[in-house]
Amino acid sequence: MENVGALSLILALCFSVYSVLASLIGQWKKRPFLVVSGERSVYAVWGLVTLASGMLVYALQTDDFRLSYVAGHSSSTMSPLYKFTAWWGGQEGSLLLWAWILSCYAAVAVYLHRHKFCHMMPYVTATLMVVQAFFLLLIAFPLSPFEVLAVGKEVTAVPDGRGLNPLLQYWTMAIHPPTLYLGYVGFVVPFAFAMASLITRTPGDAWIHTTRRWTLVTWLFQSTGILLGAGWAYAVLGWGGYWGWDPVENASLLPWITATAFLHSVMMQEKKGMMKVWNMVLVSSTFFLCILGTALTRSGIVQSVHAFAQSPISRYFTIFLALGIGLVVYLILDRLDYLKSESQLESVLSRESSFLFNNLILLASCFSILWGTLFPVISEAVTGEKISVDAPYFNRVNIPIGLFLLFLTGVGPLIAWRRSSFESLKKAFLMPAIGAVLTMLVLAAFGVRHPYAMISFGLCAFVTWTITSEFLKGASAIAAKSGQNLIAAMVELTHRNTRRYGGYIVHVAIVIMFIGFTGAAFNLDTTKEVGINDTFKLGRYELKIKDLKSGNNGHYKWWHAPVEVYQDGRQIHTLTPEQRLYATGDSSSVVDIRRRLHEDLYLNFAGMTADGQKAVIQAYVFPLVTWIWVGYWALLFGTIVCLIPSKVKLQFPKTKVVGVVSGKETPVAQS
Amino acid sequence: MAQVSSELITPEIRRIGSRLACLCKSCKNTVGDCAMLACHYSKPARERIRDGQAAGKSDDAIVAGFVTEHGRQALALPPNDGFSSLAWWMPPMMVGFGLALIYWFIRRMRKPAVPAAVSAIDQKVLDRYKESIEKDLAKLD
Repeated sequence: MENVGALSLILALCFSVYSVLASLIGQWKKRPFLVVSGERSVYAVWGLVTLASGMLVYALQTDDFRLSYVAGHSSSTMSPLYKFTAWWGGQEGSLLLWAWILSCYAAVAVYLHRHKFCHMMPYVTATLMVVQAFFLLLIAFPLSPFEVLAVGKEVTAVPDGRGLNPLLQYWTMAIHPPTLYLGYVGFVVPFAFAMASLITRTPGDAWIHTTRRWTLVTWLFQSTGILLGAGWAYAVLGWGGYWGWDPVENASLLPWITATAFLHSVMMQEKKGMMKVWNMVLVSSTFFLCILGTALTRSGIVQSVHAFAQSPISRYFTIFLALGIGLVVYLILDRLDYLKSESQLESVLSRESSFLFNNLILLASCFSILWGTLFPVISEAVTGEKISVDAPYFNRVNIPIGLFLLFLTGVGPLIAWRRSSFESLKKAFLMPAIGAVLTMLVLAAFGVRHPYAMISFGLCAFVTWTITSEFLKGASAIAAKSGQNLIAAMVELTHRNTRRYGGYIVHVAIVIMFIGFTGAAFNLDTTKEVGINDTFKLGRYELKIKDLKSGNNGHYKWWHAPVEVYQDGRQIHTLTPEQRLYATGDSSSVVDIRRRLHEDLYLNFAGMTADGQKAVIQAYVFPLVTWIWVGYWALLFGTIVCLIPSKVKLQFPKTKVVGVVSGKETPVAQS
Repeated sequence: MAQVSSELITPEIRRIGSRLACLCKSCKNTVGDCAMLACHYSKPARERIRDGQAAGKSDDAIVAGFVTEHGRQALALPPNDGFSSLAWWMPPMMVGFGLALIYWFIRRMRKPAVPAAVSAIDQKVLDRYKESIEKDLAKLD
């Protein structure tokens, strides 16, 4: 069986290399059959990688401990669900998942677009298959998931596997990696289209529209993956944090930021034919940041609790990144003439300018995170001195950037395309600005003194006001014309231009998340050693330890403490945090959380005192944290709205230079 | 089962702990807010802070002791001197570079004002352009 799996991967590698050659030579020599065979090889690669993945899953489910990967990441006591998730629980399996998802994306992209972009598709196919071949090369040879355990020349098996880390045996962790990979890997498709467009010098109208949709879908997966990871960290790790600025977390955020910048700046290209070079840079950066993120997780270049075991594959990634970046830079520089803007900026006070600033701030955020992540390595390489760049650095640098981005989220919708006047801006900004100031004054009156929190809440009010007024203005006009009620008119308005109003819903989602992030400024916590019937206070809560229990269910030993929660003398809840100790020696906390919209009460059973008589309980109050998860659902909804075709097809006129007035060299514009 | 203690979680210890990086390699927190009570780095670090405070040492002296032992990686924030100051200066420098780039882009891309010479163009053509512009503006969202 392991031979079938390993052979499938080698064959898939051969087919992917063939696909690259057939596509390029077929296009070059004008041999359509060769191009078609290149496309069909993509389906063959998908079939073979699916077969190999199936083999690994089968081995995991049947406890085939002859395989080194199964012995290292699964055990006979694990449930079938977690045996399945062990597919991506280790280095080799997760790379196989990467390759399998890429093969799915490649097959779908080639199938969907083989007729629409037939002159570009050979290059799209070739780009996809180059990336595919790179990952297949890794799992076919240096990091094969089908390696067997052997003593001398004889294949052997261990009695039981080591099992999956207990921290990973949690439902969000079952879907977090594949979702994140759907995001990471999905960005390969827009990159492939960008490369094909550069090579063929294809103008951007049609392919950029397709690329935007692919980017939006993968951006949604990436957002979902990041938030699932945050949710897992919050609910499992026992310290209540959802973001720790770990290098691997940062690596997932970097391509998300550049993709967000692309989703904004691509509008400039679609509507005005501007920023073509910039969009190429963003699409390429997003792809290379995905590869860099994958390399960071696996190479041991930076220290991370999330990282897989160190392996010798960093040089493969370094070579791949260097060659890829070199080729893209060459192609962009060589084709600058075709990437020239088709129109001009008419005013500094315009939506176009606001997109420029939006991109600048997003990229500043991306750079500061990348810089902070790599700085310890750079510092050590240059000066020989180790430097720590931890959460306080990232918070200090990124909070102001984040707040400015939040401000731009509100400003963008208020500025017209082409040009705005100071008068119109004053009119548009007056009420939202008053709303923001009033919010801050009310917070100050209630005793809030945290400056960033006040600014953040003020900006949340500002953005909410601007977006709500955009919806109300449009919906009122429709309601007045059609006689519909306001809600129906809002639905109609959104349906008429799903992209614009879906985007506004996503902006609202970001506001909701910022409310959740800002709540962290008011966190409370305490750590207490408590016995049965002991009580302690945290914020408005009084906590009483009802009992201390322990036991062993064969799989793990457990200790837990039912804690009664009182507020104003009245019992409102009972929480039961637990600590587990597995046979493998791993331990994990099972925290218990009372989730409410205004705040979460979070209890962690940290351990027992040295005399074994008292439990050590860590208690936290996290105000507004639930808003982050609510924000995700709004983001999901808004993105889905963006993906629905608009009822009214909008056409965007572009300004073109059509002539020059004699003697003055002054261009005359035509729309 | 981990044997832990809450006695090291005091505001005084946290105050100094917040200036020190937890070097356990499992988190990116400070000694002050590392939540693992049995952490192999933060726990002895907190004990050392407690002992230093009991001995009447100043905050700076306690932090300097960690730097002497572990180097400047013991600090939670990169120091703002020498090469490590680049950690602080590069992000604002990149924003400044970006602003300069935007300024250059706007100057290059900005459409020049239409001069009086345009009036020499046939009035009918001009009217057609104006009508077209009005239509476009009406269509814009």
